[in-house]
Amino acid sequence: MKKRTWITLLSIILVFSLMGPAMAGKEGNKRKGKHLYRTTYKACHGEDAVPVSPDSKTQAQWKRVFKKKQWDVFGCEDKWNALSEDDLNDILSYLHGHAFDSPSPAKCK
Amino acid sequence: MAENTNTPISRRSFLKWSGAVSAAAVAGTNAPVLHALVPSEKKRSGKNTELKYSVCDMCLNKCGLIARVEDGVVKKLDPNPKFLKSRGMLCAKGNAGIRQLYDPDRLKYPLLRTGKRGEGKWQRISWGQALEHAAKNLNKIAEKYSRCGVLFTPGSDLQSTFVHRFAEVFGSYNVCTHESSCLLSRNRAYLDTFGEVPSADVLYSRYIITTGANPFEAIITPDSIDLMTARKNGCRLVVLDPRYTKTAAMADEWYPVKPGSDMAFFLSLANVITSEKLYDPKFAEEKLHGLEELTEHVKQYTPGWAAKECDIPAEAITRIARELAKAAPASMVYPGRRTSDYTNSTQVRRAMAIVNALLGNWDQPGGLTAARKVNIKSVQLPEAPFYDDNPEDRIDSGKAHMLFEEEGSFKHMRDGIIAQEPYPVKGWLVYKYNPLQTVANRNKTLEMIDRLDFMMTVDITMSDTAWMSDLVLPAPSYLERQDPASALQGSSACACVVTRDPVVPELFESKPAFWILKELAKKMDLGEYFDFDLDSYRKEQLSTMPAAPKALAEDGVYYNPGQLYGAYEGKVFRTRSKKIELYNSRYEDLGVDPMPVYRPPREVPEDRFRMVVGRNAYFTHATNHNNILLYELMPENGLWIHPVSASKLGIKDGDRVVVKSRVGKTELKATFKKGIRKDTVYMATGFGVISKGLSNLVGKGGCMSEILDDFADDLSGNMAMHETFVSISRSAS
Repeated sequence: MKKRTWITLLSIILVFSLMGPAMAGKEGNKRKGKHLYRTTYKACHGEDAVPVSPDSKTQAQWKRVFKKKQWDVFGCEDKWNALSEDDLNDILSYLHGHAFDSPSPAKCK
Repeated sequence: MAENTNTPISRRSFLKWSGAVSAAAVAGTNAPVLHALVPSEKKRSGKNTELKYSVCDMCLNKCGLIARVEDGVVKKLDPNPKFLKSRGMLCAKGNAGIRQLYDPDRLKYPLLRTGKRGEGKWQRISWGQALEHAAKNLNKIAEKYSRCGVLFTPGSDLQSTFVHRFAEVFGSYNVCTHESSCLLSRNRAYLDTFGEVPSADVLYSRYIITTGANPFEAIITPDSIDLMTARKNGCRLVVLDPRYTKTAAMADEWYPVKPGSDMAFFLSLANVITSEKLYDPKFAEEKLHGLEELTEHVKQYTPGWAAKECDIPAEAITRIARELAKAAPASMVYPGRRTSDYTNSTQVRRAMAIVNALLGNWDQPGGLTAARKVNIKSVQLPEAPFYDDNPEDRIDSGKAHMLFEEEGSFKHMRDGIIAQEPYPVKGWLVYKYNPLQTVANRNKTLEMIDRLDFMMTVDITMSDTAWMSDLVLPAPSYLERQDPASALQGSSACACVVTRDPVVPELFESKPAFWILKELAKKMDLGEYFDFDLDSYRKEQLSTMPAAPKALAEDGVYYNPGQLYGAYEGKVFRTRSKKIELYNSRYEDLGVDPMPVYRPPREVPEDRFRMVVGRNAYFTHATNHNNILLYELMPENGLWIHPVSASKLGIKDGDRVVVKSRVGKTELKATFKKGIRKDTVYMATGFGVISKGLSNLVGKGGCMSEILDDFADDLSGNMAMHETFVSISRSAS
């Protein structure tokens, strides 16, 4: 029984470590995150602006940006401060999932 | 055999054709449009000759060409000498593009199915009716099942970007490209080793090994041409292939490797290179991650051990490893393209990538090179809406460890649609994609179609997939279209930009995908997201390259200056360790072998054969077998079988045989080949069609997709087509 508890605990730790972005303890909706990210960015810089690419930073760097709320990376800090924690978590899931060193690095098109 | 005339279409074949059209369709012919194809003798004077640039679409290479147009009729396609990616050449298949334009079997106007699916009963309808019908059905599915209830499958085409755009605007994540029948496992392996998918600098290489690649038949520009030049310049070529292909025939050494055992060979090369320390220590120190672990890991994979697994002598393996290392960094294991072969195909390509890493050939002449920046601007279109009621992810999500979301996995997508898990997908929009011929297990694809409420196909001819559709819309060929600009990578030849403008106007009632999707968007209240035209779109694409429009107009191609070799100097790799990953810790986290571990392929049972897939130079996927100029080169396929194996079954050369697998059966003629392993058989793809709209092909040859078994690569979700075992017997008929 004790052994099983340890295995369960270790499994939970492993799952959480793999989840990556997990700000609020659960992985966000990366598709919603993409939409929110691009609309928030463009609301600041204009419809023709190309948002900062997810692959411009490593996964660790994106986590740090969101943990420390370094919104100067995107500009218009007020717009980013106005987002809910769930929204930010969704956005981080998107950026983290397509970061420079992710399995699917993506440029913002 | 059909008549082959010098003009695009003769009056005699026109009459034959228009008669056939009248019989096949409910409505009559469109004489004024057809007339454009048959210029009068007066018009054929040749006085009004124009030369127009275009870009070939007979395969995926997009080679530059010059169309010779006389009085509005394309008479000849010539190579564009300024197009460096093809080294100024256009292959015979490219020349046959003229018959794609003037193909009597082309789709001519929108068709609505009136009988059962696949029965071949059609009603000609107007574009207005067609768009209305499509919009109504797509909306109905979106309302009933969610917007992810529609699957989009864009083929490899310059206008496919608009299918992706439409899917995004419509709101479906379920987009699946051709790539999961092709090169995803190669891409996965190189991305997970080097952090990007490289080009092969074949021209300057001194030693090349190919396995699962046949560049002298499956033409890739510039690689196929460069390999011939490199050979003349003394490059050694070693080919591993269970078939004696044309590439094997041109090689210094050919080994009929035991199918599925290639990994043993490459791990053994790694064994020799690491144990004898044949790598560059400076490169290894600076750029390799996990060399110690790899050295320890591959100790078990000695040449003596590998020889028993892959049927290649141990002495040869040792010698090849030393020769490769001696020629390094101008030596390589050629990455190849189609790698949809085994359930561990990513790990097989990881083993190949690891040998390349040990050769220190990254970023070096004659080795592997990174993509050069081309600089086409990404056009910023209005953000697509987000639909809150959609499911969270794709239907194939989580079915493979590391799926490429932009490409998907047709195998897993199809399984999900059949099972209606995790949610129902009931609609399918197909653009220039023919999975009924190109994807393993045709019967399962038919089963998937049975589950759908609505299916529409946009294509140039009545492919098997179009044949099964509810609505079929005619697309123009590449010679009739305006296309967006596209970036091409050509290793040492170039990185360049190409585009297309119509060489001749659209024939019949055909309409390009962009027009169809834009009009459909308007009908579905999504018009604001397609509120642009191709002129302005392309202008915006080229806005970052001021010299591009003039170069494209004057030369048919634009070259962006950029560095090829040494581009990674001072830069980190796009991997977790920021180095080339011999050891992949992400794999370890996922419970996947962090370094390739050899597991023998499934043994072929005594009374069976392993079926392997491979291309020839005539055809691309299943797109141009009905083209009369190419059809004449191979009017039907045959089953390659070793004479010794065949005689044991009482089969003679040319006998009609039944090929049967776990998932289906087909019939074709046996073709004796001493250059194929006794335990292996092969046949060309694209025959045994179900469509009656491909008049040259009806009743010809056997269907490969009918018998290919239904496996996928564990990591990428790529099809695993060489996992197919078949029995062979003489046909009773």
